[in-house]
Amino acid sequence: MQKYKIMRGVRRFIIFFSILFMSGCWSSVEVEERGFGVGVAFDIAEASENKESTDSLKKDLLTVTYQLINPNPTSQDNGEAVSGRKPYNNISQTGDSIHQIVRELARENEHPVFMPHLKVLVVSEEILKTLSLDEILDFHFRDNEVRLSTLAFVSSGKAYETLRTNQNDTFPAFRLLDISGNEYRTTKLLTPVPLAKLIGKMHSGSSFLLQNVVSSNGEVKFSGAAVIDGKTNKCLGFLNEEELEGYTWFTGEGEGGVIRTLDKETDQIVIFEVDEMESSITSTIDGAQIAFDVSIKSEGMLSESWIDSEEAIDNEFIKRIEKEIEETVAQLVTGVLEKTQQEYEVDVMGFGEHLRINHPKVWEEMKDDWDQTFSDVPITSNVTVKIVDYGSRIVK
Amino acid sequence: MISHPKDKITTPQTVVFITSYNIAIGILTLPRVTVEEADSPDVWITVILGAVIAFISGIIIVKLSQQFVEKTFYQYSQDIVGNLVGKTLSILFIIYFLTLSALEIRVLAEVTGFYLLENTPGWAMIMPMMWAGIYLISGGINPLVRLLEIIFPFTVIIFMLVLFMSYNLFEINNLRPVLGLGVTPALKAIKTTALSYTCFESLLFLVAFMKHPAKAVKVVVIATIIPLVFYLLTVVMVIGVFSIDGVVTRVWPTIDLITSYELRGLIFERFDSLLLAVWVMQIFATFIITYFAGALGFAQVFNKNISLSIYIVLPVVYIIAMVPKDLNDIFTLGDWIGNSAIFLFGTVPLLLLIITKLKGGKVNAKI
Repeated sequence: MQKYKIMRGVRRFIIFFSILFMSGCWSSVEVEERGFGVGVAFDIAEASENKESTDSLKKDLLTVTYQLINPNPTSQDNGEAVSGRKPYNNISQTGDSIHQIVRELARENEHPVFMPHLKVLVVSEEILKTLSLDEILDFHFRDNEVRLSTLAFVSSGKAYETLRTNQNDTFPAFRLLDISGNEYRTTKLLTPVPLAKLIGKMHSGSSFLLQNVVSSNGEVKFSGAAVIDGKTNKCLGFLNEEELEGYTWFTGEGEGGVIRTLDKETDQIVIFEVDEMESSITSTIDGAQIAFDVSIKSEGMLSESWIDSEEAIDNEFIKRIEKEIEETVAQLVTGVLEKTQQEYEVDVMGFGEHLRINHPKVWEEMKDDWDQTFSDVPITSNVTVKIVDYGSRIVK
Repeated sequence: MISHPKDKITTPQTVVFITSYNIAIGILTLPRVTVEEADSPDVWITVILGAVIAFISGIIIVKLSQQFVEKTFYQYSQDIVGNLVGKTLSILFIIYFLTLSALEIRVLAEVTGFYLLENTPGWAMIMPMMWAGIYLISGGINPLVRLLEIIFPFTVIIFMLVLFMSYNLFEINNLRPVLGLGVTPALKAIKTTALSYTCFESLLFLVAFMKHPAKAVKVVVIATIIPLVFYLLTVVMVIGVFSIDGVVTRVWPTIDLITSYELRGLIFERFDSLLLAVWVMQIFATFIITYFAGALGFAQVFNKNISLSIYIVLPVVYIIAMVPKDLNDIFTLGDWIGNSAIFLFGTVPLLLLIITKLKGGKVNAKI
C-alpha cells in the first residue's frame, strides 16, 4: 500500500508540473501589444530627419512605410475624446534591406510590426525603375507572417502618399483593398493581383500589369496600370486609363462597366453597359511568321442616351448604335496594342500564354525572346457588340 | 503475442489506418517536388500513374502477407529466407520505420515552429508529441486505430473545404496545355509521386491484425483511391493558383494556397490554422503508425515485450529526429527514406513472394 501512495504522489507531482510548464502558449504576445500592420509602401530613400544611424554598413536605398492600426484612437482626455487622432499610424524608416528596417522600427515604436493582417502593398514607380520587384518583395515572400492574399499595387507618385487620408475614420490600406473590389462596376480597374499570383508572374519571364494608384492630398484614385518587364521585373511605364480599358476589353476579363460613345448622326452621347464580355485569340502560324486574330464579343444594354427622344428605338437604330460602340471598343483595343507593341515592346496581353497553351512546341522555341518577336507580330481584332436591352424607358 | 482476439481490426479500420499513414508530409510539398522534376503542368497525370505503381506494390505485399496467417513480416520473413537474412531484412525495416517516424515528427516541429509557435524550441514540440504517442500505442493497435477513426473524417472535411475555397484564384490556364510537350515530362516525376503513396508497407504487418485478411486486396483498392483523390485535388488546385513558375519557389505550397485567400463575412476569414490543425493530426497519425511499426518489429525480432520495446526505441527516434541541422538536411533525409523504400518495399516483397511461390507447399505445411 505504501508503495502505491508514493506512486500516486509522484504521478500528481508530474501532472502538476506538466500543467505548469506545458499550458499556455510559449510565444504568446498580448493583442494590445501587437502593432497590426495593414499596409506597406516602398519608396526610394529619402533623407530621414533626426534619425541618425550609427550603422556604417547601412546604405540609404529605400524608405519603407508601414501602416499600423492605432490600438486606442479615441483615448479619453478628461472625459472628452481627443479629436483629430487618426485610427492609424504610419511609420517610416530608411535603409537598404526590408527586414533590417522592420527591426529598426522596433527601436522607435512601442509595438513592433505584426504582419499577418497585411492587406495591401504599394511600390512606387520610382523605386521600381531602379530595383526589381523580386528584390523589393523578397522579404515578404520569405516571412512566415505575411499572407499571400496581400494585394500588390504600384503608385505613380510617392507610395506612402497612398497610405494617407484626410478623414479620421478610414484606414487608407482598407480603402485600397475595397476599391480594388469594385471591378464589377468599371472596366478601368485591373483584376487585383495578390502576392500568390505575383509569384508566378514574376518568375514566368512574361511581362505583366499591376494596378496603378495615384494620390494627392490624402485622396487616391486607381488610374491605369504599370507595365512590369517580365525579364527584369522592373517598371517600364504605364498604361493610361483608356489603355487599361482597352486591355480589359481585349482580355475579356471585365466583369462590368460602361462604354461611352458619340453617336455620329446626332452628335450625342450614348452609354452602353456591359453585361457579358468575352474574347478569344486565334493564331495562324506559317513557318516563322505568326499572326493573331482577336475576336471580342459583348452583350449589354443601352443605359443612357442623349439622343433627341424623337428618334424611335427600332432595329435600325440599335444596329447603328451597336456599330458605333464596336468602333469605340476597337479604338480602345488598337490603342493598347499600339502602346504595348510599339512603345514598350512587351506582351502583357496574353499572346505568349496563348502560344504556350495552343502551340507548346512553337512556344518553347520563341519564349526566350518573345517580347521582341511580339512587337512585330501582326494582330487583327474584330468586335461584336449586341444591345439586348434598353432599360425601362421606352421612346415612341 | 499479438494475436489476442481484441487486437483484431476491421476492414474499414484497416483502410483508415493505411490512408492516415499515407497523408503526411507529402501533401504539403508534393506540388512543388513534382513540378521541380517534371517542369510541366502535367504532373497531375503523374499523380495518377504513381497511384497505379503504388497499387501494384500494395497487391504484391498483400499476396505475400496472406500466405502467412496471423504472422507479421518480422516473423514470416525468417520462414522464407532463413533466420539470418530474415532478421537482417527485419532490422532494415525497423530502421526504415523509425527513421520515417523521426522525420515525421521533425517536420511537424519545423512547420509548427515556422507557422504557429515561432519561439518554441524544437524539443518542446517534439517531446510532448512523443509522450502522447507512446501513451497511445502502449494500448496496442486498437486504441491507435480508434484515434485514427476519430480524426479521419475531420481531415477529409476540412481539407476538402479549404482546398475548394481557393476556387476564386484558380486558373485553368495554369494547368494547360495537357501533354503539350509529349508524355516525357509527365513521366519524369513518376518516382516522386509513386513515393508519395508509400503506405502499403504497413500491410506487411497489418494483415496479421486483420479480422478478415482475405479482404486485404479490397483494402488496397480503397486505400489507393482515397489518397489519390487527395493528392490529385491538392496538385490541381495548387498549380491552378500558383502556376508552375510560382509553385517551384514555395517551400510549403499547400499551406501557401490556404494563405492566398481570405473570405470575408464568414465566421473565419482565414483557414490556414484549420488546415494546419488537421495536418498536425495527420502527421501525428503517421508518426505513431511508423513508431508502432518499428517498436513492433523490435519486439518480435528480439523477442522482447512490446511495451518495453516502445521505450527502448524512444531515444533512437528522438536522436534521429534531432540530427538534421537544417531544412535541406531534412529534405535529404526524406529523399534517402524514399530511395530505401523503393528497395525495401518495391523489390523485397516481390522477391520474397517469388521465393514463397517456388517453395510452394513446404512453407504452407509449416503453418
